[in-house]
Amino acid sequence: MTVRFENVTFRYPDRRAGVFDIDLEVADGELLAVIGPSGSGKSTVLKLLAGFLEPESGRILIDGRDVTGTPPRARHLGVVFQSYALFPHMSAWRNVAYPLKVRGVATAERRRRAVDALGKVGLGEFVERMPATLSGGQQQRVALARALVFEPRALLLDEPLSALDMALRAGMRDEIVRVQQDAGIATLHVTHDQEEALSIGHRVAVMQAGRILQVAAPIELYDRPVDRDVAAFVGQANLWPGSVQAEGRVRTALGELQCATDGFPVGADVVVMVRPESVLPVEADSPGPNRFLGHLAHDRFLGSVRRYDLAVEGGVIRGETRHRMSLSAVRIPPEAVRLLPEASR
Amino acid sequence: MRLVTVLYLGYLVAPIALLFVGSFGARWTNTLLPDGLTLQWYLDVLDDSSFRRAFLTSLKVVVATCVIDTLLGVPLAYAIHSAARRGVRVAARILTLLPIAVPELVLAFGFILVFSSDALPWLGSTEVLIAAHVVVTLPYLLSTLAADMSHLDLAELERVGDTLGAGFAARFVDIVLPSIRFSLLSGLIMVAAISIGEFQISNLVAGFLNRTYPIVLLQAFYGATGFACAATVVLLVLAFLAAGGGALTARAAHAR
Repeated sequence: MTVRFENVTFRYPDRRAGVFDIDLEVADGELLAVIGPSGSGKSTVLKLLAGFLEPESGRILIDGRDVTGTPPRARHLGVVFQSYALFPHMSAWRNVAYPLKVRGVATAERRRRAVDALGKVGLGEFVERMPATLSGGQQQRVALARALVFEPRALLLDEPLSALDMALRAGMRDEIVRVQQDAGIATLHVTHDQEEALSIGHRVAVMQAGRILQVAAPIELYDRPVDRDVAAFVGQANLWPGSVQAEGRVRTALGELQCATDGFPVGADVVVMVRPESVLPVEADSPGPNRFLGHLAHDRFLGSVRRYDLAVEGGVIRGETRHRMSLSAVRIPPEAVRLLPEASR
Repeated sequence: MRLVTVLYLGYLVAPIALLFVGSFGARWTNTLLPDGLTLQWYLDVLDDSSFRRAFLTSLKVVVATCVIDTLLGVPLAYAIHSAARRGVRVAARILTLLPIAVPELVLAFGFILVFSSDALPWLGSTEVLIAAHVVVTLPYLLSTLAADMSHLDLAELERVGDTLGAGFAARFVDIVLPSIRFSLLSGLIMVAAISIGEFQISNLVAGFLNRTYPIVLLQAFYGATGFACAATVVLLVLAFLAAGGGALTARAAHAR
């Protein structure tokens, strides 16, 4: 089953916010993560697909069929809400069995299937428990089982992990991927957590101000963001304005950098992107290009890495290293420099 | 501080305590406390046909009021809760609170005007009495239900029900009604307590043969003191039962 947005535009009646010209496709079995800052329209995309909102123009196709005007209950989509939204007066298995109940499945059969679904998410011993007696992570699993038990055409996850403790999130991420792969179902996962999106999405869509900036596989999104906004939102990045000085050389406020300038004519304005982990601490007197001397303005120990800001002439270079020595010079390998257009739109 | 509390509680409890004492006292004339112990006054109340009829009328009115309040209140509270526009919700809240704000006397005069007309000559009937109680009690049930609905985030539960394939009827029966069962119960007990003690409108709207208990009670104070005390204690016990039941269900609902 596939999901497809074609030129979808929606505007909220009381504001100018909304989503504009959304083109998006989720393939069968694919997990597409949608990320963006709050107010970027990522939740609106989910609500449009679920049927809580209707597009002003454009079409939404599920499995090739236009679902515009179809109410949520007739779309056969499994939705997991941020708040889980378990029915508080029903036990875990009755919650999971509810979509089967409204579909007219006999009691014994729906209990069997609900218990089975709860077993798949590791809650086999909790079938009779009431939601209020379950932990956040367990409630999350019940909600996931409930959204999948009726074999929906697609799975929609609305910030499913945002209400959980940090420590629980990583485990639940793996759980979601496992269950999603098991079901082999097209999945739209909305989140504001870019690490979550990069780690579990087959592809990631970055949204801002109601528009999709880029849709790409996580590695491509990280290594080759289309513009400054995507680079700034996905991971950490040094971003300096610059201009192409000559073939293979770019001028920035920090000085001249050697790097590949393919695709940019001499004199073009560009944004220079360098990921912090590719900045290399070096001895102050070591030779080579793209070497900068300075002093530490900030030094943050984060456990597995150390993130530092080196104040150099003309600006600041952010770097990450596992080394714990004092440092006063860094080198930026030419192949680690990526040039982005000043604006993609 | 403690002294003030004790004085206040004394002030609150003393009249009620005196009623109890008086209802068991044989004689009570020009003394602080009655003397002699008797159950005769209660037997007299039980024997009095106008009290028996009033008691039955009150029960009938209370039960009918609760049933009608439920049938009107649940859909109405749901409609107010799920109204899309904020303005509609606010207007509905104000309208439903009006009967509390408007003096009951004014409401009663309205009933008298409407139901003594030639077109609707039903003043004095039990039906009009019940209608009056519904008007007075419904706002309390509505605000209890509406508060619970937004507290439970019923809208979100219904949205999820919608995505799971439940139509409106299924959602209403499977999600809405079970979710509000505790607040409906505690709201109804409050309705019953108000209806049992209601005096102002009943006094003006009821006919001679369908007076409610509090109205007949007023007549008792023109007779023997012990008899009046006993009759009042009967009403007090009923009201206490209702209030206590309400408090207990409210606690049960809170403990969910």
